[in-house]
Amino acid sequence: MNALAVSAPVDMAELRATLAAEAGPVHFVAGGTDMLIAGRPLPETGLLIDLARVAGMAFISTDGTDVRIGGATTVAALAADCRLRVRIPALCEAAAQCGSVQIRNRATIGGNIANAAPAADLMPVLVAAGTRLALLKHDGTQYEAALCEYLPNSGHLITEVILPERGLLPRSAFVKLGSRQDMTISRLNLALLAEFQSNHFGVVRVAAGALGPVSSRLHRAEVALAGRKLGAATLRDFIAALIDEVDTAIPGRNSQLHKRRAVAGLGLDLIAQAMGLSPRDRLFEEAAG
Amino acid sequence: MRMSLKVNGQAIETEISPISRLSGFLRDVLGLTGVKEGCCEGECGACTVLLDGQPVDSCLMLAFQATGREITTIEGLCGSGVNDLQQAFLKMGAVQCGYCTPGMVLAAEGLLHANPSPGEAEIRHALAGNICRCTGFETIVQAVATAAAARQGAER
Ligand SMILES: Cc1cc2nc3c(=O)[nH]c(=O)nc-3n(C[C@H](O)[C@H](O)[C@H](O)COP(=O)(O)OP(=O)(O)OC[C@H]3O[C@@H](n4cnc5c(N)ncnc54)[C@H](O)[C@@H]3O)c2cc1C
Ligand code: FES
Ligand code: FES
Repeated sequence: MNALAVSAPVDMAELRATLAAEAGPVHFVAGGTDMLIAGRPLPETGLLIDLARVAGMAFISTDGTDVRIGGATTVAALAADCRLRVRIPALCEAAAQCGSVQIRNRATIGGNIANAAPAADLMPVLVAAGTRLALLKHDGTQYEAALCEYLPNSGHLITEVILPERGLLPRSAFVKLGSRQDMTISRLNLALLAEFQSNHFGVVRVAAGALGPVSSRLHRAEVALAGRKLGAATLRDFIAALIDEVDTAIPGRNSQLHKRRAVAGLGLDLIAQAMGLSPRDRLFEEAAG
Repeated sequence: MRMSLKVNGQAIETEISPISRLSGFLRDVLGLTGVKEGCCEGECGACTVLLDGQPVDSCLMLAFQATGREITTIEGLCGSGVNDLQQAFLKMGAVQCGYCTPGMVLAAEGLLHANPSPGEAEIRHALAGNICRCTGFETIVQAVATAAAARQGAER
């Protein structure tokens, strides 16, 4: 068997040519913050391609109707992009809460998706936004797929992450709960995207991570808010729906009791962040009480 | 495979194994033992180096990924002496066993470059990826704040 070879293409043309020329298995590394954790097996044969230097894979484009993000864009770049924050603050918030500075400087959006960890922090926001992926196969074929259809072990390269205009609702928020404040893996995370006018919610999308193998929409929680006035009664229904979602997702698990308590507080923090209110606002005290 | 990069201002061309980690390469091949390896999981920050000026965990990078880039280790921060930030660490008693210190100093340099006058919460947040088992962090935060204030004062 041939030993592992490595390649670090500098642009998309070189990346495509490298893929086309490789007959054996191809592996990708971007930030390495998942792949290179000690004890995880590294590929031993084939070609390992470094995505971190491919110029055409690190960009954030917010000028068009859709937001387009290169697959090797770092989490630090997402957290710091002011124009992205205007279009979808929740994604910047989720990025800002990933790992440490050192991790964010290397970790990429493509790696966060492909690694497919249940607690991945960018995922609930991307799921709630109805994200699509631009993908490239080893044979050079390009295609687009919904994020929920993407198979992490397909080996297909995520070249772009596309947030369609219709998914970019004007209010958005992301909150997470871990074992400590900074640098913590989510025990539970929530994202919300919503229309909100004249003190009423319009269309609402809510997604959660670390409640199942993949981040997913919480439809009952969405129904509890959609079309309703922001008030204590609505928030109480929202909390009840979130607890119901936890009970359905992880019945009988050791973490069920903890998560059904945690989701109530986290849900109110989520609404407070989306509305630009303090979590100590009386509204939330009334809803919790 | 061959690769070229800049380490502490010096251009280097060398032979490396495709799967050697940057931390191992810096320590074992270049003898830069100021780079520490604690966990190799991104948790402790002892291996922190500056990659084109930005703090990264060198245990979570393959050496070949540094091709064409510029790496700064603690040895390259100030030639043979210590700089003002390192002085502040010494003065505040922020160094006990010293194992975390190179990574801590480089993470703090990264912070001061991005944010020259950070508040206490910002310092703690920026150093969240660096673990110190000895000092309890208080003196480290004070050292970074002192160096930041002195640098700001010197600029005025
Ligand atoms: C200490 C520590 C703390 C962390 N904290 C958090 C946290 O708070 N929140 C969080 O969400 N994550 C966290 N992570 C996990 C990790 O940093 C993220 O999942 C990160 O986004 C992974 O990106 P990467 O570029 O480093 O992936 P890599 O490690 O380079 O790759 C991971 C996998 O994805 C594949 N891959 C990478 N890019 C692509 C692409 N464009 N197309 C197809 N496949 C690809 C690789 O082949 C590999 O299989 C943490 C990790 C560590 C070590
Ligand atoms: S050795 Fe790199 S983070 Fe611990
Ligand atoms: S001084 Fe000993 S670990 Fe920090």
